[in-house]
Amino acid sequence: MKLKSHVSALALASASLAGLAGAAQAWSLEEAAKPYAGTELEVLFLDRPGYNAAIQMLPDFEAATGIKVNHTTVPYENALGEQVRDFVAGGDLDIALIDLVWIGNFAENGWLVPSETFINNPELADPALDMADFFPLVLDAFGSWNGVNYGLPFDNYSGLLFYNRCMLEAAGFDKPPATWQEVMDTYGPALTKDGKYAYALQSKRNETQSADSFARFLWPFGGSFLNAEFRSNLNSPESQAGLQFRQDLMQFMPEGIVAWDHAETVNALAQGDVAFITEWSAFYSTLKSPETSTIADCLGVAPEPAGPAGRRPALGGFSLAVASQADAAEQAAAWLFIQWVTSAANAGRYLELGGVPARQSAYADPALAEQFTFIPALVESWQEGVPEFRPRFAEWPAITEIVQEYGTRMMLGEISVEEGAREIGTQMEAVLEDAGYYSGAKPLAQ
Amino acid sequence: MTLRVPRRTIAAFIGPAVAALAIVGVAPLLYALWKSFHDFNLTQLARQRWVGLQNYQTVLTDSDFWDAIGRTALLFVSAVPVQIALGLAIALVLHRPGLTFWKTLTRLSLVLPMATTYAVVGLLAQVMLNQKYGVINQMLGWVGVDAINFIGDPTNAFIAVILWDVWQWTPFVALVLLAGLSTVPPEIEEAARLETRSPWTVLRHVQLPFLIPSLVAVLILRTADTLKLFDMVFTMTRGGPGNATEFIAILIERVGNRQFDIGLAAAQSIIMLAITIVLARLYIRLFYREVS
Repeated sequence: MKLKSHVSALALASASLAGLAGAAQAWSLEEAAKPYAGTELEVLFLDRPGYNAAIQMLPDFEAATGIKVNHTTVPYENALGEQVRDFVAGGDLDIALIDLVWIGNFAENGWLVPSETFINNPELADPALDMADFFPLVLDAFGSWNGVNYGLPFDNYSGLLFYNRCMLEAAGFDKPPATWQEVMDTYGPALTKDGKYAYALQSKRNETQSADSFARFLWPFGGSFLNAEFRSNLNSPESQAGLQFRQDLMQFMPEGIVAWDHAETVNALAQGDVAFITEWSAFYSTLKSPETSTIADCLGVAPEPAGPAGRRPALGGFSLAVASQADAAEQAAAWLFIQWVTSAANAGRYLELGGVPARQSAYADPALAEQFTFIPALVESWQEGVPEFRPRFAEWPAITEIVQEYGTRMMLGEISVEEGAREIGTQMEAVLEDAGYYSGAKPLAQ
Repeated sequence: MTLRVPRRTIAAFIGPAVAALAIVGVAPLLYALWKSFHDFNLTQLARQRWVGLQNYQTVLTDSDFWDAIGRTALLFVSAVPVQIALGLAIALVLHRPGLTFWKTLTRLSLVLPMATTYAVVGLLAQVMLNQKYGVINQMLGWVGVDAINFIGDPTNAFIAVILWDVWQWTPFVALVLLAGLSTVPPEIEEAARLETRSPWTVLRHVQLPFLIPSLVAVLILRTADTLKLFDMVFTMTRGGPGNATEFIAILIERVGNRQFDIGLAAAQSIIMLAITIVLARLYIRLFYREVS
């Protein structure tokens, strides 16, 4: 695959650089940053554990380099709009924070500088960069577009099954469900009683509906948004089976689930009101802390249940990339920061502070897996995910709005699964037609 | 003797206001009008081009747009009559003589809902109406009523938006109508009360004619407010569940800020502006009469 071969080339390049550098002078962050001391960088952060971890690490970077990193925290829902407007207007942002589904948009508009520019610069490239150490799926999905890498994975998630072990044991289960069919046939009926529910699926009408709810039931059932010709695949038997399964599973979910976002869902598990949820790995620290969770001692973590087509867990997360609108000094300083904060050397500390690094080496230590019980499930999930869990092209912002509207209407029963899928498909194809995918003006990349 | 003010002095006084209005009001409006004739998507700037009336054609044939207009109209006809009825009742009570201290206190407290930021009102609603942890359902539980799914059910969510809008804007209507009642000459009102003991007759034949300008102002302002109702609904339901509370301003924001289709959003906004102007003119023509 073109994408993977390119990432492999990058990995080789960085490995060669490591060899060369080892033989020559030792590279140091302090020396590399000297010409850029006093440079100020602007970046948007979110109010999530990974960013709070990075903020705690920032003083070390600033002390070592003299580069100041100014971060502005915005809600996720505003982050795309803020950045698009800033890049269109030629604003202040020097670093792009890229959600997996924004990479095509940002790259196609020329708002990012390819990583190669810096990796091939021995004065800026840390010999220990080791691109091959990133989980390949994560590096491909979060930071690469159309064969070119732009961003290094920074705030990394996989969908995991968080469960209340005590509640499961009380109902006679000694392990969490391994398949969605088990959830439907066994766990759902046994755990939905006395005002408690087996499962909560966050489905609010925003990106949560598209990413956490709709897509989650496409892939494990063999479905997908698009087929090989970029036509809608939502009315295929596999996609329909998955979406109908979601509909049927609602009998084991709390009433009003279409209004639930991450906060409500995590809280429901944390308060012991539901037996299990499928949520991003980033919520581990919230569910494990006795300050925010009443089930901290009962918390169990497993990979998401598998469907007929396998596990295919939800994949999400952010990379950091250098913005092309920054001047040369800011670009160099931005790269040094991105390289440092995502480095293998800092991965352990990032993890300790609540972040989730994408470095394979960080998870090799068995002691860490014992301390952070989500690690084995996370590593397993990152072996089985699909980069195009949600298409990552520039048209996704328009398509996700369509999915959000009809996805929630399906769940509410206002429209049948078949009709809803057909409506999404028709509107999605209109967006893709307009963008030029069917005329051959754009490559079929997602 | 008539003092003639030099034109230059008049221009000096009016000029800054006109300039400010031109910069913050007219210029963006003209820019939006210009962009409404373009295919202008922030994420596809390379293909920016003049499309004439195509965006208007798209809007006028878009069922989502007309559905949102319908929901907005339903919100208006549901909420505003309640606000006027309750506001008039509050104004009449506050207009009665006596209890000065309590009336002052009431007037002050009436300002609070209006002074609360719209987005905060929406967030409060989201928390207070939460099915499991919200204070409203807890209070309903005290009187034996089962928890209501306010935000997750399309009909309930719509009703919740109406109730929240009534809560926030009834005080405004009350204060405007109270000001209107103060324009009724006391001697006419006293004379009327000597003629009849029926408060309804006094209201119908004496006070109401003086309230017409206030009511027209309320109608115009509440129409404009309803058409641009955004913050409260966005933070409360974000237009959902489904599109149960996707009012016109929420739709325009979605197209402009989340799909980045500025050209289409501009066309939607211009059409909304035209509707607002027509409605305002209609109110004035139908209802407004100078009180003689």
